[in-house]
Amino acid sequence: MREKPYKHLRISEHRGGMSRLAVDLPKMAVATNIAIPATAVLFGALGYFIHFAFHFLTVSFIFLTLVNFFYRHVQTRHTLLRNFGIIAQMRYLIESIGPELRQYLYASDTEEKPFSRNERAEVYRKAKNADSSQSFGSLLNFDNHEIKLRHSLYPVDKEFQQPYKVTFGEERKIKNTYTITKPFIISAMSYGALGQNAVRALARGAKAAGIPMNTGEGGYPKYHMMEDCDLIFQMGTAKFGVRNNDGTLNDKKLKALAKKPQIKMIEIKFSQGAKPGKGGLLPKEKITAEIAELRGVPMGEDVISPPHHKECTDAKSTVAFIKHVQDVAQLPVGIKMCFGREDEFRALIKEMKKQKVFPDYITIDGAEGGTGAAPKSFMDESGLPIFKSLPIVNRILKEEKVRNKLKLMCAGKLINPGKQMTALALGADAIYTARGFMLALGCIQALQCNKNTCPVGITTHDPHFQKGLVIKDKAVRVANYVKNLEHDFEEMLASMGCASVKDLSPENVYLPRDAECTT
Amino acid sequence: MNVKTIITWIFQIIPAVILLQTLRFKFTADPMSVEIFTALGMEPWGRILIGILELIAGILLLTPRAVLGAVLAFGVMVGAIIGHVSILGVTGQHGPLFLMAVATLICSAIVIHLRRTQLPLFGKTME
Repeated sequence: MREKPYKHLRISEHRGGMSRLAVDLPKMAVATNIAIPATAVLFGALGYFIHFAFHFLTVSFIFLTLVNFFYRHVQTRHTLLRNFGIIAQMRYLIESIGPELRQYLYASDTEEKPFSRNERAEVYRKAKNADSSQSFGSLLNFDNHEIKLRHSLYPVDKEFQQPYKVTFGEERKIKNTYTITKPFIISAMSYGALGQNAVRALARGAKAAGIPMNTGEGGYPKYHMMEDCDLIFQMGTAKFGVRNNDGTLNDKKLKALAKKPQIKMIEIKFSQGAKPGKGGLLPKEKITAEIAELRGVPMGEDVISPPHHKECTDAKSTVAFIKHVQDVAQLPVGIKMCFGREDEFRALIKEMKKQKVFPDYITIDGAEGGTGAAPKSFMDESGLPIFKSLPIVNRILKEEKVRNKLKLMCAGKLINPGKQMTALALGADAIYTARGFMLALGCIQALQCNKNTCPVGITTHDPHFQKGLVIKDKAVRVANYVKNLEHDFEEMLASMGCASVKDLSPENVYLPRDAECTT
Repeated sequence: MNVKTIITWIFQIIPAVILLQTLRFKFTADPMSVEIFTALGMEPWGRILIGILELIAGILLLTPRAVLGAVLAFGVMVGAIIGHVSILGVTGQHGPLFLMAVATLICSAIVIHLRRTQLPLFGKTME
C-alpha cells in the first residue's frame, strides 16, 4: 500500500490544513513529573559531594515533589491536576489572569461588556473634565442594526432653548411636589452594595450637581443623608428600614423617614432589570450591628427579600398599596419595575384607572440593568431590554390615556448622552443611571461587585480598598460628569431641532425594525 | 472553637516552641552550634541565615498565617535531617537534636496538611 503523503505531518497540521505550535500537554506533564524528583535528587547529590548549601534547592524540590504527589495521587477534585500533575497549575494560573489580560491587551476598544472601553472612556473624560472629542471617524459598525438619533435640518439656536424642569406629584396636586431641573438621577445603590466612601462621594457630587440620588433598598440611608443631597428613598420587597418583623410595611417608620427634609420621594421597587421577579437573601454572616440597625432586621438569622411585596399579590392589591404609601408618606411615590408581560402591565394600568390611583412616576428598568449580584440566568435571560420596553410602556400609557397622570423614568446602561437622549425621545421624562456614576467615581469594570474586593473601593467595605476613594476628589468627578452630560444634551437637542427635552419624540429615533434593540 | 482548630493550634505551638527555644544557641554562637555549622561548611552565615528562617517560621506558626510558617519550618527541618543523615549522624552527641528535627518536621507537615487550602498559589486546588 502506498504511504500517504501527509503521514509525516503532525495531526494538528493535516486536520486544520495549516501548521501551528502544538503543545503536547501529556508529554510535557510526563517530563515535568520525572524532572521534579530527579532535580531534587541531583541537588541532593550536589549538596552531598560539593557543598551543603545546595540542599536549600534540594529542600525546595522535595516540597514540589510532595505537592505534585498530592495532586496526582491524593486529591480527586481536579481532573487535570490528577492526570498531569503540577504543570496543569499553569492552566489555572494563566486562566485566572485571563480577564485582566484581555482587558489590558487583547480586547478591542468596542467589544468589552457590559461597557466597552470606548463607552467607559467617554464617562471618564466627562468626569475628569477632559476633552471628549474623537478623531478620524466612529469606531462603531454602521450595519443597519443600530439605534440612531435623527437630527433636524433646522437646528435650534441656543438662545431659544428652554430649561429642563419636571415636577413629580403635580398631577395629584399634592403639597410636597418635587422638581428636578436636570434629567439625570443617580440610580438605586444602597449602603451595603456600596461602601460608605462611595455612597458619600456620590451624594456629595449629587449635591454639587443639583441632582437627586436614589438610596437603594439598603434601609435607613445614614450615609446618603450625610451629604445633604436630595434623596429618593427606595423600598424593596423586604422594606429594609421601614419594615415590621414579618416584612410588612411599618407605617410609623415610613412616616418618620418621609418627614426627613432630604427625602423628596419614595420609590416602591417591584422588580429590577438585572433579576426581575427574583428575591434575595441577606446571609446572617453579613449582618453587622450597623446593617441590622439600618435595615431594621434582627442579628444572627438570615433575612429573606421575597420576590414580591407581601401586600401586593395582584393588580388590585398593588394599586391599593401604592395608594397606602402615598397616604402615609405624603410625598411623590413612584414604582420601579422591569417590564415583562404586556397584558399584566395593561391590567395594572386599568386597575389604576379603576381605583383612580396613579403612582407619581413609573421607572422602567431595562433587563440590561446592573446589580451587585444576581444569578446568571436572570441577568442574561430575564426581562425586556429598555429600548424594547420603553416604547411599549409609553404606548400602553397613551392608549389608556394616562400618560399625563404620571412621569416615566427609565434605567438600563444609559451612561452616555446619546443613549440617554434616545430614552428620552422614546418617552422617558428622566434618566436613572447607576453605573454611569460608578464609572465617574473611577470604576474600572473589574466585575467584582459581589466579592468585597472592588479594587477601586466602590463596592467594598474593606477599609484597605476604600482608602483610595477620596470623597472630596471623587465628588468633583460626579459633578463634572453631570455638567458635561448637560453640555452634550444642549448641543444634541439643538441638532435635533428641539428647544427642550419635552419636544423630543420617537420621530427623533431611528429604530431598526429587526434589530436587537438593546443598549 | 472546634476540635480541629484546637488540634491545629497544638501542632503549631509544639514546633514553634522547639524552633524558638533553640534559637539562642544559634544566635549566641554556642560552641555546639558553631561546630555543627562548621561541619556543614556554612559557618557563620548559614547558622545566622537558618536562625533567621527559624525565627520567622516560629513567629508565623503562632499567627493566622501559620501555614507559611509550617512550610518554612518543614523546609528547614528537611534540610536539618539531610544534614544529620549525611554528615552529623543521627545518634550519639547529635541524636536529641535529630529527634527534635523529626518532631518539628512531623508537626509542621500536619499543620500544612490541615491548613493546605490556605497555601499561597496552591491552596485553591488543595481541597
